[in-house]
Amino acid sequence: MKRQYRISAAAVAAALLLLALPGIGQKHPRELAQAPGLVFKPDKPISFTLSNGIQGLYFEDKELPLVWMAGRFKGGSLWEPAEKAGLAGLTGTVLRTGGSKTRTGDRINEELEFIAASIEAAGGSEYLTVSANGLKKDFGKLVEIYADLVMNPAFPQDKLDLARNQSLEGMRRRWDQPFQVANMLAQERIFGADTPWGRRTTPATLKTVTREDLAAFHARFFAPNNMTIGVVGDVPLAEVKAALEKAFKGWPKKTVTLPALPPLAEKADGTIYYAYKDTPQANMFLGHLGVRRNGPDQYKLDVMNNIFGGGGFTARLMKEVRSNRGLTYGIYGQVSAGLDRGGFMVGSQLKAAQFVEALDLIKGIIADLQTNLVGDEEIETAKNSIINSFVFNFEQKNSLLNQLMILKLQGFPDNYYETYIDNIRKITKEDVREAAKKHIDPAKMIIIIVGDEKKFDKPLSSVGKVKTIDLAALQAADQGGQK
Amino acid sequence: MPKTAKTLSAIFGFFLLLAASPMAAQNLEEKVTVHVLKNGLTVILAERHGAPVFSTMYGFKVGSADEYPGITGTAHLFEHMAFKGTPKIGTKDYEKELVLMEKIAKVGREWSLETAKGDKADKDKVAALRAELTKLEEEQAQHIVKDEIDLIYSNVGGVGLNAGTGTDQTSYIISLPANQLELFCLVESERIRNAVLREFYIERSVIQEERKQTTDAVPTRLLSEMFMGAAFLAHPYKNPVVGWASDINSVTLEEASAFKEKYYTPNNCVLAIAGDVTPAKAIPLIEKYFGDIPRGPDPPPFRTVEPKQLGERRVRFEFDAEPLLMMGFHKPNFPAKEDAAATVLSYILTSGRTSRMYKDLVQDKQIAVSVSAGSGPGVRFPNLFTFYATPRFPHTVEELEKAVLEHVEKVKTEPVSERELQKVKNNLEASYIRAMSSNMGLAGTLMRYQLLFGDWRLFLKYKDLVGSITAADVMDFAKTHLTAENRTVAVLVKKAKTS
Repeated sequence: MKRQYRISAAAVAAALLLLALPGIGQKHPRELAQAPGLVFKPDKPISFTLSNGIQGLYFEDKELPLVWMAGRFKGGSLWEPAEKAGLAGLTGTVLRTGGSKTRTGDRINEELEFIAASIEAAGGSEYLTVSANGLKKDFGKLVEIYADLVMNPAFPQDKLDLARNQSLEGMRRRWDQPFQVANMLAQERIFGADTPWGRRTTPATLKTVTREDLAAFHARFFAPNNMTIGVVGDVPLAEVKAALEKAFKGWPKKTVTLPALPPLAEKADGTIYYAYKDTPQANMFLGHLGVRRNGPDQYKLDVMNNIFGGGGFTARLMKEVRSNRGLTYGIYGQVSAGLDRGGFMVGSQLKAAQFVEALDLIKGIIADLQTNLVGDEEIETAKNSIINSFVFNFEQKNSLLNQLMILKLQGFPDNYYETYIDNIRKITKEDVREAAKKHIDPAKMIIIIVGDEKKFDKPLSSVGKVKTIDLAALQAADQGGQK
Repeated sequence: MPKTAKTLSAIFGFFLLLAASPMAAQNLEEKVTVHVLKNGLTVILAERHGAPVFSTMYGFKVGSADEYPGITGTAHLFEHMAFKGTPKIGTKDYEKELVLMEKIAKVGREWSLETAKGDKADKDKVAALRAELTKLEEEQAQHIVKDEIDLIYSNVGGVGLNAGTGTDQTSYIISLPANQLELFCLVESERIRNAVLREFYIERSVIQEERKQTTDAVPTRLLSEMFMGAAFLAHPYKNPVVGWASDINSVTLEEASAFKEKYYTPNNCVLAIAGDVTPAKAIPLIEKYFGDIPRGPDPPPFRTVEPKQLGERRVRFEFDAEPLLMMGFHKPNFPAKEDAAATVLSYILTSGRTSRMYKDLVQDKQIAVSVSAGSGPGVRFPNLFTFYATPRFPHTVEELEKAVLEHVEKVKTEPVSERELQKVKNNLEASYIRAMSSNMGLAGTLMRYQLLFGDWRLFLKYKDLVGSITAADVMDFAKTHLTAENRTVAVLVKKAKTS
């Protein structure tokens, strides 16, 4: 690299000219001719079923010599016993690190890392996922190890201890960042600390988990008839199917039941929760329960969320609280959907000296959305943004396939993607207002604040009924005697 | 699809991953076209005809390394200002705005200078100036079309509009449907030619909050700031990208504008586009819109050279958080052979579950929950080989430091194995292929190599360099650079409870 040290007089003159003549020869984008239409027929994935019942989805992708796959099993932390919260997560981690009955985890690490491949497993709330990627030349080996881990995990004690110790350290550290703390407190209070959605995994619950628990949790959900697998890459379908058939040969079907979960009940009652922490900003979440997935208002909410707090700088929260007032670096809000209920949540790290002012702004934005119709241009922008950016769902075949797998598992109709744009197009300003009225209740929403009230512009008592949370005590109880 | 808030700041450019393979190299050479405009703007196109979309990243060779005391954070501040529009975009009446902005510049400057006096500031004067500024800002707001660049791109389906400032570069990104190339050329050429710094003092307030959110409240970032401040004595790599709070609080509109004029020239810029584009269509459009941006003066010469470190430096501070450790050693930067040796060593020590430090410190002894190594904070100038480690309770940072150093010493006395070297090469090769699997990833990689090192092909050629690294080279690197007198150690320890 060569640096140039010469500054020419002509260049300086050019710079001055540039300053003197703003906007020379330029025009506004609206003066451009209409862009040509986008012609695009997205590929559809190929579905297949293996002889033992595994459901498959496949995309061929010959661009690069790579292969990607992900298997999902229904089941997860929502179905773990409360006193063993964290079991699903540990099952995922140790399924991978612990190796199989014939291959140790350490040996698998060596084999995979030498060929720059990876297999990872994770226990989420609704699904247990095992994903893999590697070079196409190693596909056979990858599938072999993958299937062995999925069918025959060993769950050895030492790798359970390792995973648990790592999680325990994470729990010590989860109190270090105030926004993270505010989020944790909000999840518990909105979804309920005694529900599978809101309860917190603690050192105490983690410590009760044994390797027998992991094996039983695995046995409960891992079955071919409860597995959906997606494969994308430069490997022909026939080869994929043959490799999977061979690797999963002899894996017996069994009955997998997912017991119904107790329905969530709204607990939010307008309380303000304040937790003192010596930190420069006011870390805030507010909200209450949201909606059930795949419900009648989903498209209305997609548009409303975009206008309210999900659409970047065109969203009202960002525009008003950040861009017009400079009170935060970021603010997001939306009504989300869940298996039972999602959440309505707004989160932001706000300028402490104007916190109450910011909170009033946010409440004002909600009230306006519920009272007045949004502007014509505003709803057009929101709908255009959703419709015209839809093509980005098809950019990466593996993320597309992953998304399609999730939609299928969550019971969305097969034509969800094909009809999505038309469904968004139908949404009106009245729909947006109706959705905001129906799904947001300012009287019920709770507000969580982690920060230092002495730095705020007004006392919190001027905002409403305040309950104090003692973070130090909470942290000590969480750590259960660990120092 | 929520967009993340603007600016990725210090994250940019910290680690540079490099790799190549002959077959894939050929593959990439075929896809890439380079075109240099008369004004010096370098354009790189990479064709990927999958979905009808493209991603762009263009960057200027300017970052926090180009700042000096008093204006730290200005590269980043200007990056935010580049989203505020132009004389055509973002306004209902630019003439009226100009009159107001002149007043805002004057009042804002006085307010900033008075505020900067801290305890000695005249409080009444500060309040009066602030009130006057707010009044002017509200008046200007009547003539502004809010965040119109965002609005324009949102309407056509643009995603990921964002920008990032690092120590070495400032870059701007957007992904668009393939039929929007002309719109992109119009908006971005306007922005480069003529960004208008409207809403300057409001945005400065946003950045004050950004600093609190992303540094002051984040233990890892705070430690990193302390660490860099100690490791560099003279070189501006010692300054945080976001800037010091006092500088953010006092930098003026004129200073930001002057900074921009110095560095935001086409001859200091590389534009990369990856995706469903063809040179036949794209280059004429780029010529049409970017071609008449006047070439600017060369950026001012860079002078400061970090002096040789003469002894170990240590930082220790208390914070309300669990302990953390950073350790670093000065070393040459890319494309020096030592830099390639450092890359190889970082893989061997900390990359993956089979790396030496993971196996020993995380898995077996369980002293740490994570250890990572890499080069940073930038790559334009000699930099640091850095370890970042998180101890596991009840193990201390002191214990962890000792354990990390044992591994460092071992590298000086025992050659790394051939299998370890081969594993690094295999992984670098695969990471090179993966770098081509997304439009934005590819655009970013090509742009960075071209901008910082003058040739995107160095991305491919670096393979020969890494491939040539032997066990002896790794040992030499460790012996020469990973020494006690060349070392800086920074630790965060938990504040003792006082109540």
